[in-house]
Amino acid sequence: MEKVEKKLREEAKKLLAEKKVDVVVGYEAGTLPLTATPVFITAPEEADRLVWNAFCHHNLAKYVHDLISANRDSQKRLKPEDRKRKVVGVVTKGCTSRSLVIHLQERQYERLDLSILGVPCTGYVDRRALAEKLGGEEILEGSLDGANLKIRTASGEKTIAVKDVLAANCVTCRFNNPVISDVMLGEPAPAMNPAAEYAEIDEFEKLSPEERWAYFQKEMAKCIRCAACRQACPSCYCRTCFAEQSMPQWVGISEDPSDTQVFQFMRMYHMVGRCVDCGSCVSVCPMGVDLRKFLKKLDKDCFVLFNQRAGEKIDFPAPLQDQRMDDKEDFIFNPGGGH
Amino acid sequence: MSHHDKPAGRKSEGWEPKIVAIVCNWCTYAGADLAGISRIQYPPNVRIIRVPCTGRINPFYVVKVLQAGADGVLVSGCHPGECHYISGNLSARRKFATLKSFLNYIGIEDGRTTFTWVSASEGERFAQVVKAVTERVKALGPATKLVKKLRDADVAVAK
Ligand code: SF4
Ligand code: SF4
Repeated sequence: MEKVEKKLREEAKKLLAEKKVDVVVGYEAGTLPLTATPVFITAPEEADRLVWNAFCHHNLAKYVHDLISANRDSQKRLKPEDRKRKVVGVVTKGCTSRSLVIHLQERQYERLDLSILGVPCTGYVDRRALAEKLGGEEILEGSLDGANLKIRTASGEKTIAVKDVLAANCVTCRFNNPVISDVMLGEPAPAMNPAAEYAEIDEFEKLSPEERWAYFQKEMAKCIRCAACRQACPSCYCRTCFAEQSMPQWVGISEDPSDTQVFQFMRMYHMVGRCVDCGSCVSVCPMGVDLRKFLKKLDKDCFVLFNQRAGEKIDFPAPLQDQRMDDKEDFIFNPGGGH
Repeated sequence: MSHHDKPAGRKSEGWEPKIVAIVCNWCTYAGADLAGISRIQYPPNVRIIRVPCTGRINPFYVVKVLQAGADGVLVSGCHPGECHYISGNLSARRKFATLKSFLNYIGIEDGRTTFTWVSASEGERFAQVVKAVTERVKALGPATKLVKKLRDADVAVAK
């Protein structure tokens, strides 16, 4: 990890010094122990702020999209020949790389707008899982010591293995190394456990519709519709989200539970072939809504039906941009059975 | 406000399901027309919404219809390969496959939503589909899931 971090700083410094990029989006140490926060580095001498460790959970593709579209908007009034490209360097783990692929598939920007600093990922620490392990005690001091977290709380010193507090999406991640990069910093990380990626979904599917509905209702009842999940999601970049459109008004804003259910259902449904299971929405949700239970189903269906995973292949159109004459259609109703 | 506004009231005897059919202009709508011209009987429970192509159907329409209190939704267009716009129904098929699966996953009864193909020459098939869908929805009873109980005028399916 330290080696990756060192290389990352060197590479960022070089890119900025040679003016190959205008900004490097990465992570720096957070203000609280055992946290990291996104950082925008624009000068070579600042590159040493960059870190790469098990607390870097944000999917930075979100900021790439924000930066490039803001730059484009700011130049709308300029003559085309006077417009300048903003090249964004981005620290990219597996999920981030797939989000970048999705943006490229969806023609949000061009490959030339990016300089991808690939980093191997072994998963990030789930803030909630860690808090649970500590019984909710505040972390006064903490450091990362190899595969363990050394933590001091009011009640004393504790050692917690990183692997015991990894985010659920990381444990079964199939793409912990970037699927595209311009430079790969360090050796690729060892595989996680993708064989079990749909285990939770398979279990849920076995429940009766009534049980599933009860769970959906229970989870959606927690949602306060703050839209943090949408704000954090790199695939949610519409200028005006359907949730805020008023002509027509797609989702009501009443207290009726169905308004929240419909908002969430559609926000999630828009992730077919577009959710990279980065866990950003889950980690920002203040209410602990189990979004992943539903989002991962879309990923499973997408693979089962179309043999594709979100952001996996840059040379292919996204699953819902594409279609085949021989797509499966078992769900099509035929009166009297048979075709 | 009539007693019909309460779901309990709708369960009363003589309840007839309300089914919204979203169909494409070129095939299924013509198929429905043919059924009519040929005087083929089918249950009067469907309210038809015509759209240019199944590819034009925002999956949100289906969810919105359920929220508005329809007991069933039927979506139908041209058979694959026969789309007036060449591939609108193929795009739609991918959306519908994932939409239906996701609706089922959260616990919406399978019979509430039906996707099928009916061509302009299949008046008989249209009638069969409507009959079968009506029966399926009747067996399920009135819809309750995702249904908005606090009605606002613009979403309520006219009673
Ligand atoms: S829906 Fe959540 S997990 Fe999926 S890409 Fe968006 S933020 Fe990441
Ligand atoms: S972040 Fe959580 S509470 Fe906020 S809108 Fe999303 S699911 Fe609801």
